[in-house]
Amino acid sequence: MPALLRDHRLLLPLLLAPGVGYLLLFFGGPLASALIGSLRLEDGSFTLAWYVRIFTRPSMLRGLGTSIYYGVAPVVVSLLVSVPLSLAIRRHFVGRKLFSGLYKLPLAVPGIIVGLMIIVLFERGGFIDRAVAPLGLGLPKLVRDDWGVGVILASVWKQIPFMTLIITSAFAAIPEDIRFAGRTLGASRLATFFLVEVPLAMPGITAAVLLTFIGSMGSYAIPDIVGPPTARPLSVLMVNEFNQGRFPQVFAMGMVLSAFAVAVLVAYYTLTSRIGDAHGRGDTK
Amino acid sequence: MTMLAITDITKDYGASRALHPVSLCVKKGEFVTILGPSGCGKSSLLRIVMGISQQSGGEIRLAGQRIDMLPPERRDIAMVFQSYALFPHMTVEQNLRFGLRMKNVPKVEQQRRIAHALDICTLTGLTARMPRQLSGGQQQRVALARAIVMQPNLLLFDEPLSNLDAKLRDTLRHELVALHRRIGATSLYVTHDQAEAMAMSDRIVVMNAGRVVEIGTPLELYRSPKQAFTAGFLGQTNLLAVTASGRQGQLPWGQPVDLATEAMGPAQVSVRPESIGIRACDHVSSAPATVAGVSFMGASALYTVAVGETLLKVSQAGGDALIEPGRTVELTFPDRLPVLEDRVIEDRVPAREAA
Repeated sequence: MPALLRDHRLLLPLLLAPGVGYLLLFFGGPLASALIGSLRLEDGSFTLAWYVRIFTRPSMLRGLGTSIYYGVAPVVVSLLVSVPLSLAIRRHFVGRKLFSGLYKLPLAVPGIIVGLMIIVLFERGGFIDRAVAPLGLGLPKLVRDDWGVGVILASVWKQIPFMTLIITSAFAAIPEDIRFAGRTLGASRLATFFLVEVPLAMPGITAAVLLTFIGSMGSYAIPDIVGPPTARPLSVLMVNEFNQGRFPQVFAMGMVLSAFAVAVLVAYYTLTSRIGDAHGRGDTK
Repeated sequence: MTMLAITDITKDYGASRALHPVSLCVKKGEFVTILGPSGCGKSSLLRIVMGISQQSGGEIRLAGQRIDMLPPERRDIAMVFQSYALFPHMTVEQNLRFGLRMKNVPKVEQQRRIAHALDICTLTGLTARMPRQLSGGQQQRVALARAIVMQPNLLLFDEPLSNLDAKLRDTLRHELVALHRRIGATSLYVTHDQAEAMAMSDRIVVMNAGRVVEIGTPLELYRSPKQAFTAGFLGQTNLLAVTASGRQGQLPWGQPVDLATEAMGPAQVSVRPESIGIRACDHVSSAPATVAGVSFMGASALYTVAVGETLLKVSQAGGDALIEPGRTVELTFPDRLPVLEDRVIEDRVPAREAA
């Protein structure tokens, strides 16, 4: 054994095994088997038919579009709420401690319960509708509507705490002095925020955006319960196919969904890293 | 001409008072240091002048204009931070340009000022570097250059050298003094380092426990302090009780000394260790002084001398043979010893606050 350990060609893979091996076994393995599964007919012969179906059948194409929409729209809305919220939490106000505990509560609520909650609250004839009815008001269609407002509401409700948590710590990591330096150099509070704080918090904001995007793009329970019956995202369609036993089709859809998620990741990283670089390109000449 | 006038500034945190009415002024082109131990209120005062903290009372005028109600960006003050506070996502040049852009300085003028600041802070050639690619000393010089390009009415320094190692601190201290001579910017410098304060300042404001203790030139404060705190904080000293009668005083062991000012009855004098003469002698004089300890400091030797109940610090320059512990010595005191004022500076409450 000591001789074995002294051989460096063997030592390296051995040391890496607990980490890389785990990834290969539990992440790479299923991914590879899904990829292979998506390329096989019932009799085991090679086919691209399952992929052709995704890109030719209107319901599938619509599903892909819907998945991306359900991924992007809630993230945009959550971001618009989370950033101001993070800045508010940084300031001192009465009840701040209670508030920063309370706002995290949705983190503990499963998606399916959020979906049901949205139905109870926002459906026509639901809680809010009945509450405003005596005033002669009625809610517009917010649940199972064509624009998926219910889905966005539910996803946003679930995402905001998570996003705020990450973005708050990203802003908190910026030293106070750097903010003050901006101010003494003639920048207003707003200019300091956009020119100094946002670029410095960008890594945190990026991470929050990506994690929530991937979460809501792949979520099943919320779009299934509060989404419109006409436009179903791939995740919901996958479950339908699964229930009909068309496993290769499920694998193929999973691969496409993952590929899109990765593509968006890459696009976002390229974009934001360029924004960061525009401020600070240039090593030694 | 007075550039900065701080009048009766106070700061209360709840019921506790961090700054008792503090007043001081800085003349145009003057380099004034606020010196005090940590927690003396000097940082609170600086934050109030900078505009990131609001005073509880009093007023601040810069170049005749009242500024204490203005936000920091409209005060015409530039600051050099202890942590440098460079923008980590910008190059050196972008850091320098930031303030000029915010103040809408024309492009050509921006270029001229940046080139000048880079030159006098010896940063030429580093313009494209990011702050993390610079050494501590270089970062501090960038922070300084970033403040200088603003050509502000007042430069504030918050312990800018305390994050550097001793040798670099020394070099930068000299550079700062030379720079101040060249550009003549009105400067308010905050530090707890008495050596730094003495080497750099035109005048020193000594602060303790939220109050101004004493204001004077480094020489005045060192040679003839009026307060025991000043005497003890600026270098080492011996605080000795004397019984005064006019310009004559008598030390506890009967030795007569000459006083700088007239006093009556019990008083206190400050005697610097290096101004006491020490000489070994065999005969027992009127004051039986013996060496209790000696430490060799290189350029000088520091003796602890016991005279009766009193322990004295005596420093002797030069490389003469050390006097061994236990030897009897004769001590000679200089003329015109500064008599310390015993009074505590009274806490003046401004009329509008009392109302």
